[in-house]
Amino acid sequence: MIEAQNLRKEYGDFVAVDGSTFSVQDGEVFGIIGPNGAGKTTTLKMLAGLVEPTAGEATVAGYDANDREMRTHLGFLPEESPLYEEMTPLSYLSFFADLYDVPDGVADRRIHETLDELELEHRERQLGDMSKGMKRKVAIARSLINDPAVLIYDEPASGLDPLTTNYIIEFTEQLAREGKTVVFSAHNLFHVESICDRVVIMNEGESVARGDLDELQAEYGETTYHVYTTVEVPGSVRENGRYRRVVESMDAVERTREAARQAGGSVVDIRTEESSLEEVFLNVADSRKRRRGG
Amino acid sequence: MTPRKLLRIAWWEVTRNAGGIDRRTLAVAFVILALFGLVTPLLLDGGVGLDDGLYRVGIDESSPYYPVVADDETFVVRPGADRADLRNGDVELLFEGATVQFRDNPKSLAAYGELRGTVERFNNEQLRLEENGTAAFPVSVLLEYRQRGGGGDSPRIEDDDAGDGGASDGTGPADDGEVDDAGPGDDPGSGDGEETDGTGDPTDGGGSGTGGTGDRGPSLGGDSGGGLGGISGPLSDDQVSGSPADISPPFPFQSLVLAFLFVIPLNFLIQAYGSTILSERINRRGELLLASPVSRFDIIGGKTLPYFLGGMALESVIAIGLFVVVHGELGGVVSLLAVAPLVLLFLGATFLGAMFARSFKELTFVTVTITVTLTSYAFVPAIFTDVGAVALISPLTLVVRDLQNEAITLGEFTFSTAPPLLCSGVFFGLGAGLYREEDMFDQRSLRGRLLDALVGPIPRAGGSSRLTARLDPYVALDLRTARQYVAVGGLTATLIPFVFVVQLLAIALLFALGEISLILVLVVVAIIEEIAKSLHVYASFQHRRFEPGLKTALALGVASGVGFFFAEKIALLAQLVGLPELAVGEAGLQGGIVPGPFALTVALFLLAPLVLHVVTAAISAVGASRGKRQYGIALCLAMLVHLAYNLTVVMAVV
Repeated sequence: MIEAQNLRKEYGDFVAVDGSTFSVQDGEVFGIIGPNGAGKTTTLKMLAGLVEPTAGEATVAGYDANDREMRTHLGFLPEESPLYEEMTPLSYLSFFADLYDVPDGVADRRIHETLDELELEHRERQLGDMSKGMKRKVAIARSLINDPAVLIYDEPASGLDPLTTNYIIEFTEQLAREGKTVVFSAHNLFHVESICDRVVIMNEGESVARGDLDELQAEYGETTYHVYTTVEVPGSVRENGRYRRVVESMDAVERTREAARQAGGSVVDIRTEESSLEEVFLNVADSRKRRRGG
Repeated sequence: MTPRKLLRIAWWEVTRNAGGIDRRTLAVAFVILALFGLVTPLLLDGGVGLDDGLYRVGIDESSPYYPVVADDETFVVRPGADRADLRNGDVELLFEGATVQFRDNPKSLAAYGELRGTVERFNNEQLRLEENGTAAFPVSVLLEYRQRGGGGDSPRIEDDDAGDGGASDGTGPADDGEVDDAGPGDDPGSGDGEETDGTGDPTDGGGSGTGGTGDRGPSLGGDSGGGLGGISGPLSDDQVSGSPADISPPFPFQSLVLAFLFVIPLNFLIQAYGSTILSERINRRGELLLASPVSRFDIIGGKTLPYFLGGMALESVIAIGLFVVVHGELGGVVSLLAVAPLVLLFLGATFLGAMFARSFKELTFVTVTITVTLTSYAFVPAIFTDVGAVALISPLTLVVRDLQNEAITLGEFTFSTAPPLLCSGVFFGLGAGLYREEDMFDQRSLRGRLLDALVGPIPRAGGSSRLTARLDPYVALDLRTARQYVAVGGLTATLIPFVFVVQLLAIALLFALGEISLILVLVVVAIIEEIAKSLHVYASFQHRRFEPGLKTALALGVASGVGFFFAEKIALLAQLVGLPELAVGEAGLQGGIVPGPFALTVALFLLAPLVLHVVTAAISAVGASRGKRQYGIALCLAMLVHLAYNLTVVMAVV
C-alpha cells in the first residue's frame, strides 16, 4: 500500500531525511518512531505529498505521493491541526467533504456517523470554543471524511489527557481492524507497541532499524532469563525461599542448572523477560552513538 | 485548476468571514459607507462649504448688488443693517446704494476681496449670456498646450483676432473720509474715516474681457483635448470666455480627486485580504487545505476571488455613482475596466507580501508599503493627464479621462492596463511559488523566501512527470534538462511586466529633470533588467537545480537572455500611444523602437539587443554559479556593460 524508496529531504545544508526506505502492507499498522528531529514528520509529509522529496520516491495507494489523485485515498492528520475556529464541526467537515468530492448525502451520513463514533457532542458550537481533545476528534473526523484506504497520523494523541489519548489510540486500532492501512508516529512508545504491527526506527534522518517487534527485539533487544533454584548458586539472590539468578543466554541457564545439581539442588522455574520497544529504541540509539564514537 | 473547487473555496471564504463579523462591525462599516457616500457629492460640489456664511453683508433688496451677494453662499445677507452695525462688527460689508463700505480690519478686508471676486464672476457670467459674443469678449486667445519633450517646449499662446480688451476703467481715487473707491487690480483702498475705513465700487475692474476661442488641449494620443470639463477654469472647456486670470494650467483637480475615490477602497480591501492569506500561514492553519486534493491555485484563486469581486463591486458603485452625479447618466464601464487591473495589482502585491510576511506586524508594514507605492503609481502619473502621454502609465489616467468624457483608444487602454495586469500575474505567480508547506509555515529570511519564490517554477533535474516516466531514460533526461532551461527563459520573460512597470515609473518620476533624466533612466533600465535576468538563475544555483559549471552557466545565460529579448518586445505597446516620442520614453523602452531602414532595424532592433541580453545574462549567470559574492560582482559588471551599451547605441539612436 505504501512504498518509500530512498526518500531524502534537504533543507539547504540540513538533511532532514536521508535515504529512508520502507514499505507498508494493506491493513497494516505501521509505526515510525524516533527522537525529536529524527525526520519522522518530514517522512510522513513526504508520504502525504505535502513535502517534495529532494531525492527518492514514494507511492501511496498505487499513486505517486506527489500525485494529487493520491490524496483522495489518504486521510492525513498532522501533529498540529489548528482548525478554522470560526466554523462549527459540521460546517468544517462539510467543507472538506466537498473538497474531497464526497456526495452530499454520503457526506452528511458519514459526518454524523464518525462524530457519533468519536462521541463528539456540540456539533453546532464554534470550534474555537471547544477543548483540545474535542478539536482533535474533529480533526480525526476530517481525516476520515473521504473514507480513505490509507491513514497517516502524526502524533495523533500528542498533548491530550490520558483518557482522550486512550480513546484515540483505541479508535485508531478500530480503524485498523476495519481494514485501513495506518502509518502512525508517536513519542509514546507504549502506544506504538500496543497497536503497531511493524515499526521503523528513525534517528538523525536515517531509518536505522525496521521490522516487526519480534524481529527488532531479536536484533536490538535483550532477553534475560530468571533461573530459580532450590539451593544457592554463584550469583544468585534469595527470594521467597528460593534462589534467583539472572542470566542472558541459554548456555548460562544450563551452567546454572549444572551448578544447582552439583550443590544438591535443582532448577524449579525459568522465566524469560524481553526488552520493551523503548529499550530496543534506546539500544539502537546507543549502538549508533557508540558506532559513531568508535 | 478545478473551477468547482475554486468556487467552493471562494464561497467558504465568504461565509467563514461573514460569520465572524458581528453587528457592531457591520454598523461601523455602514457608517463608513454612508460617510463615503456623503463626502462624494460634497467633493463634486466643490468642497464641504467651509466658507458658507462667512461674511455678513448689509444690503437691501433694492441694491443692484443684491443678487450678486445673495447668490454667493459665502455671504449672509443682513437687510436693514446700518453703519452702527458695521462699526460694531455685526456686518463686514455695508452697501449704501452702489458703494460698499468696510472697516480696516482683516475680516472686513477679506470680505471685500471676496466680494470683488464674486462681482467679477457675476459680470463674466452676464457677459457670457450676451448674444453678441465678440462684443462681449473682443479678444480671442488660442491656447495650445504642448506635450513636454526632451527640449522642453514652452506653451504657445496665439493672439487670434485680438481686440480691444476691456481695459480697466474704473479706477477711482480713494477719498478721504467715508468713501473709498477701490479700483481693479488694486487692493481695496483704505481711508481714515471716522466710522468706516473705506468704500469701493466692486464693479471697478471687471471690465476686461478676453475671448478664448478655438481648439484647446494637449492632444493626448492625437484626438483628446485638454478636456478639463470646466473644472480647472472657465477658459478650458466649453465656457471659453473670461478674464486672462482664468487661464489655468491643465490640471484636472476634481477629476483626479474623483479618480482617487477608486483607489481608497483598495487600501481597505488589501488589509482584509492580506489578513486572510497570512492567517492560513499562522499556526499551520492552511496545512490541511494543502493536504486535500485541491491544487494551490484552486486555494489561491478561491481565497482571492471574493476580494476581487468585492473590490470590483465597490468600484462599480463608485463608477456608476460618479457618472450619475457628474454626467447625470449611467456610465463608467471604461473606468471600471481600467480599474480592474489596478484591483488585481493591489491584490497580487498584497498576496506576495503576505507570503513574505512572518507575522501580522510585518504584514502591516507590507500593506502600508503597498498602499504608498501603488497609490503613488496610480495617482502621480494621472496628475499629468492633460500634460502628456506619460500619464497613461497609470490606469487612473483612463478613469480621469473617462470622467471628462474624453475618447480613449484601444492602444491607450492596453498601454495603461496591460502592465499592471501582467504585473499582478507576476506577483500571484511568485506568491504561488511560496504557497507550499515548506515555505508557508516556517520563519525563513526574506532573502530565502525570495529565492524560493523565484526558483519555484524551475523543475528539478531529477524530477519526473508522466511523460518522462514513459520515455527512454536518456531522452527523458534531455527532456527534463530542456524543460529546466525553458523554464529559466520563461521565468525571465514572466518578469518583464515588473521590469516594464519599474521603467515606466522611472520615466514618470524622472522625465521632468531635463537632460539628466535620460542618463538616470538608462541607469535604472540597466539595473532592473540585469536583476530580472539573473536573480532566478542565482536562486536556481542556490537551490541546486543545476550543477555549477561554466557550460551550464553560459547556457542559462543564453536561455535567460533570449527569454528576456522576446518578452521585451512587449514594449512595442508603448508605440501604440506614442510614449517613445518622449526622449526618456524612447531610452527607457528601447526595445520598442523601430528605426527606419530595414538593415538598421535588424541590427539595432533585433540583433544588438539580443546579443546584449545574452552576454550580460551570461556574465551574471557565471557569477551566480560560483556563489553569492561572485554573483554580486558579476551582476554589477553586467549592469555596467548594459549601461555602456545604452549610452552608446541607444543614445546614438535617440
